[in-house]
Amino acid sequence: MIEVERLSKSYGAFRAVSDVSFHVERGEVVGFLGPNGAGKSTTLRMLAGFLGPSAGRIRIGGHDIAEEPQLAREKLGYMPETSPLYPEMRVREYLAFRAEVKRVPRSARAKAVERAAEEARVDDVADVLVQHLSKGYRQRVGLADALLGDPPVLILDEPTAGLDPNQIREVRELVKRRGKDHAILVSTHILSEVEATCSRALVVARGKLVASGTIEELREMRRASGLRIVVRGDAPRALGIVRALPEIAGAEVDAGHAPAADAAALVVEYRRAEGGAEAAERVVAALVGAGLGVREVVPRAATLEQVFSELTRVDEDAAEVQA
Amino acid sequence: MRGFWPIFKRELFSLFVTPLAWVVITSFLLLQGLHFFLIVVNFAAAPAEAVGDSGPVQAFFGQTMLLYVPLLLVCPLLTMRLFAEERRSGTIETLLTAPVGTVGVVLAKYAAALATYVVMWAPTALYIVILARTGDVDWRVVGTSYLSVFAIGAGYLALGVMTSALTQSQLTAAVLSALVISGLFFFGFAEFIVPDGPAHDLATHVSVWTQMNDASRGLIDSRRLVFDATVVLLPLFVTVRAVEAWRWG
Ligand SMILES: Nc1ncnc2c1ncn2[C@@H]1O[C@H](COP(=O)(O)OP(=O)(O)OP(=O)(O)O)[C@@H](O)[C@H]1O
Ligand SMILES: [Mg+2]
Repeated sequence: MIEVERLSKSYGAFRAVSDVSFHVERGEVVGFLGPNGAGKSTTLRMLAGFLGPSAGRIRIGGHDIAEEPQLAREKLGYMPETSPLYPEMRVREYLAFRAEVKRVPRSARAKAVERAAEEARVDDVADVLVQHLSKGYRQRVGLADALLGDPPVLILDEPTAGLDPNQIREVRELVKRRGKDHAILVSTHILSEVEATCSRALVVARGKLVASGTIEELREMRRASGLRIVVRGDAPRALGIVRALPEIAGAEVDAGHAPAADAAALVVEYRRAEGGAEAAERVVAALVGAGLGVREVVPRAATLEQVFSELTRVDEDAAEVQA
Repeated sequence: MRGFWPIFKRELFSLFVTPLAWVVITSFLLLQGLHFFLIVVNFAAAPAEAVGDSGPVQAFFGQTMLLYVPLLLVCPLLTMRLFAEERRSGTIETLLTAPVGTVGVVLAKYAAALATYVVMWAPTALYIVILARTGDVDWRVVGTSYLSVFAIGAGYLALGVMTSALTQSQLTAAVLSALVISGLFFFGFAEFIVPDGPAHDLATHVSVWTQMNDASRGLIDSRRLVFDATVVLLPLFVTVRAVEAWRWG
């Protein structure tokens, strides 16, 4: 439903998005993940037809956004990052206006407004002036707007930013529910959000796509980890023993954290994530067998946050090298 | 033209739920009421032979500055909000990502300003009714005068729509359009200053004063209407291009 091919956008000399390609199919919720300034909003704005790409093609629901912009936009519910609304209108008036602009047929309009307001939980403020709404409610009115007329494609720019925990949960559930028969692209810089709602994630940094995969694949990277182990005795010898094991990719002395005068902390990396439990056993056995005392064994699971910062940092290093 | 009708309705709604339109219209009508009152008092006091063939309707539309000087202010105030505010607040992003056409958006906003302008003038028809009850009114003069008032306003509002699309600040938009409109107005005035020649002819051609003066005698110069149409279409064209250009910024 969303097809993006080699999309780029430059603001003057600054390249905010470069060479991004991906697809989102019906029945998928795809997380669009990246740190601040990564180019998420810029990409989504291009998908929604608000910004023109510097290069590349975008198709929404089979319609090229440059060739058939209105047909493409009819298939699309877009929620911008800042939830811009007209302050002088009441919520119901605003949604009715949006439904008409989006060409929801007159006979279905009242129903569509009611349904969207209910789904986004703004039905209780339907008669409140937009200018009197709190930030969270404004956000949800923006969400209701995107849902109006039940478009097959939803593009949501940080839909949960600024919501309270209950609201965040409700919005995530809504996204999941809709995701069953829609194509949804959600941007965020929070990983747990992707884990909670998305079936797949695209990771962007500095305008480039640095990783993409299912949540399982992302979790896989998360398990890629090792051990932190405190040994009593000869630290260099312990290092030698550990490094000699086939399961181990590398080991270092954690110099910053000397646990005691006669002990040292080793940070051990596994070669393969899957073999984690077994490898831990082998490491401990080898050390004990060599007469070294093992005082502490702590598994080191990389958090998704670490995976994420790893992915995005690699890219930054590359960018610095290029510069 | 997609999106014209809902956007037109919304713009009118916004103009009339905010105090601005009411303040503008009320001030305008107070001023025109005073204007009308002065003219009537003047005519009542003047001896019949001094008045000649020119009646109060002619005087109202053709012989005082009070008729259009307010327009130099009113038109920028009616149009300044249209695009500048949408861009400042970001609502332009939701508007332009809906299945609407750029031409539809621009025309809807322009039409809303124009409709407000017509509403603003409508009560002045009462003056004509009052005059018609006390004496003879030349309906042809009334017709040509209102047509000219409409044509001039249409041009000024189009210029206002254009400046509103060129900036994100309502104030800047208003000042800019007031400058452009005054420039046009006073350029027309040059016909009384500049000696005969092409510059003089040009000034005469764009002169609002002469246009209204002609109209108040029942005359409509078709070349002038062509000029008025240009002042409507050119700025609107620029506006459409400007709105489309934002996408490529
Ligand atoms: N109109 C603009 N003109 C110039 N530069 C811009 C413009 N809009 C965005 N940028 C730049 O493009 C980069 C990407 O911005 P973008 O808003 O897409 O980031 P983002 O990933 O959405 O970040 P955030 O998580 O903070 O929302 C930023 O460095 C930003 O400064
Ligand atoms: Mg953003």
